Amino acid sequence: MLFTTFYRLAKTGFVNFLRNGWLSLASTIIMTLTLITISVFLILNIVLTQGIQTIQDKIDISVYLKDSATSQTIFNMQKDLSNNPDVKQVNYITKDQAKQRYDTTFANNPQLKDSLDQSGNPLPASLEIKTYDPSKLASLMPMFDRPPYKDAVSKVSYQDNKQVIDRLFKATEFIKKVGWGLAIAFILTSLIIIFNTIRTAIYTHKSEIEIMKLVGANPWFIKWPFLIEGILYGVFGTALSLLVIYILLRLLSVSFNAYFGGGSTGDQVFGFLMQNLGPLLFLQLAAGITIGVVSSSVAIRKYLKKS
Amino acid sequence: MIYLKEVSKVYNKSAKKALDNISVHIKPKEFVIFVGLSGAGKSTLTKLITHEEEPSSGTISIGGIDYSKLKKRDVPYLRRKIGVVFQDFKLLPRKTIYENIAYALEVAGIGGKTIRSRVPQVLKMVGLESKAKNFPKELSGGEMQRVAIARALVHDPKILIADEPTGNLDPKNAWEIIDLLLKVNEYGTTVILTTHNKEIVNALKKRVITLKNGKIIKDQEVGRYALQ
Ligand SMILES: Nc1ncnc2c1ncn2[C@@H]1O[C@H](COP(=O)(O)OP(=O)(O)OP(=O)(O)O)[C@@H](O)[C@H]1O
Ligand SMILES: [Mg+2]
Repeated sequence: MLFTTFYRLAKTGFVNFLRNGWLSLASTIIMTLTLITISVFLILNIVLTQGIQTIQDKIDISVYLKDSATSQTIFNMQKDLSNNPDVKQVNYITKDQAKQRYDTTFANNPQLKDSLDQSGNPLPASLEIKTYDPSKLASLMPMFDRPPYKDAVSKVSYQDNKQVIDRLFKATEFIKKVGWGLAIAFILTSLIIIFNTIRTAIYTHKSEIEIMKLVGANPWFIKWPFLIEGILYGVFGTALSLLVIYILLRLLSVSFNAYFGGGSTGDQVFGFLMQNLGPLLFLQLAAGITIGVVSSSVAIRKYLKKS
Repeated sequence: MIYLKEVSKVYNKSAKKALDNISVHIKPKEFVIFVGLSGAGKSTLTKLITHEEEPSSGTISIGGIDYSKLKKRDVPYLRRKIGVVFQDFKLLPRKTIYENIAYALEVAGIGGKTIRSRVPQVLKMVGLESKAKNFPKELSGGEMQRVAIARALVHDPKILIADEPTGNLDPKNAWEIIDLLLKVNEYGTTVILTTHNKEIVNALKKRVITLKNGKIIKDQEVGRYALQ
């Protein structure tokens, strides 16, 4: 009995979807566009956030130490910094390590390399500091201007880079905000459109709903085939939108490669899609089905109010 | 079995009453014909019995169920006990003829086996076996009317309401339908028929209730058509 009913409702939903022809096609296409909009903005935002993260991870400051600084002072300074909850990482670069770095950097420029070798090692030891949030770097500055560390510090690189860091920081914040603002605007717009499409589709069947009631159908018996049609918009919308996204990115990466050679941004984005195909499929399916079912059940409610 | 007591129906407050202080008692297994000119209130009466419309005043009860105490969720169960041939057929456009008739059984959760044997049976009764796979829009008015009759009968209702069921039929088909109603009535179903057809009314020799401007002006055990 339960199975029979379930089978009937599902079958009716499928059959109605097919018999609706153009209307189903239109709803499915609108659903596809909705899902593409959601996915594209989500992907863009993830890529953007990752990009910003990568840039921010590169932001650090170097505190250059005077040769006269005692190892005790350096040790204390390192400990103080490590105890600060904002600080992610503190690296002590000795004079020798600084020299080694210099040598590797200029390995194929013997002139520059030799010029340093002759003058002993003038490179200072330093502490390289990273914070979890680059905007917190500024708050570390005062301690280097006060005793007991004032005398040990010769220079802090932050002062030189301050403007660049600030600007970069402001830009990334701006891009993030605009990104999410656009995403929300587009997603909301497409949700309104798909809801209205489904509402119109159900409106065209309102006399059928009346007839069903008159021949003794329960509200849920009337409702479920419509919800199943909604689910089908979501399922076919997912399939179509993945196909469209796949083709678009394929074309994009081909044309990118033509300009910039292999391994370009196009390839990276395409690779990102391939790696996240599972989650994307799941996300679209969940979003599509939810949108379909919620829209349908909200739209049909007013026709079922009266017995 | 069917009681209407001082029932009135007003659709819009300004308009005249579609039904005006109607009281009727229809006994089980009775065959009742409602006659009346267009707009007399025949369809309104049938809509009150199926709970499609609610009375503006008065009480209705069927089989001991008082409609004013009927809960919204019980209405579908009530409707499954009544078969209605709607004046405008009310077939589902996205379903085939077969599916339209089967739907009246599906809503009641009746098994597939019963449906597969019962639907062809009623289709044969109304002579439409060959149209089972067609959609309503592919049928003539008379054929749609016969589908509506088949659907109203398929679940062996206790009460059959036929609102102008012969309106679109030629005399031969009309009489076949009337014979069908008589047969169903013989097997124990209460039949309520509304019609304009003088010939049929006079030939049937059944109870005739005449409506005029929403009022009952005549109620005869063996009635005749008494309108111009
Ligand atoms: N839904 C409605 N809204 C407003 N007025 C209505 C409605 N349905 C019927 N009426 C009015 O109620 C009156 C009775 O209508 P009803 O349909 O019951 O007549 P009828 O006897 O069935 O006529 P016919 O023989 O033409 O089918 C008419 O004046 C009609 O205009
Ligand atoms: Mg009528």
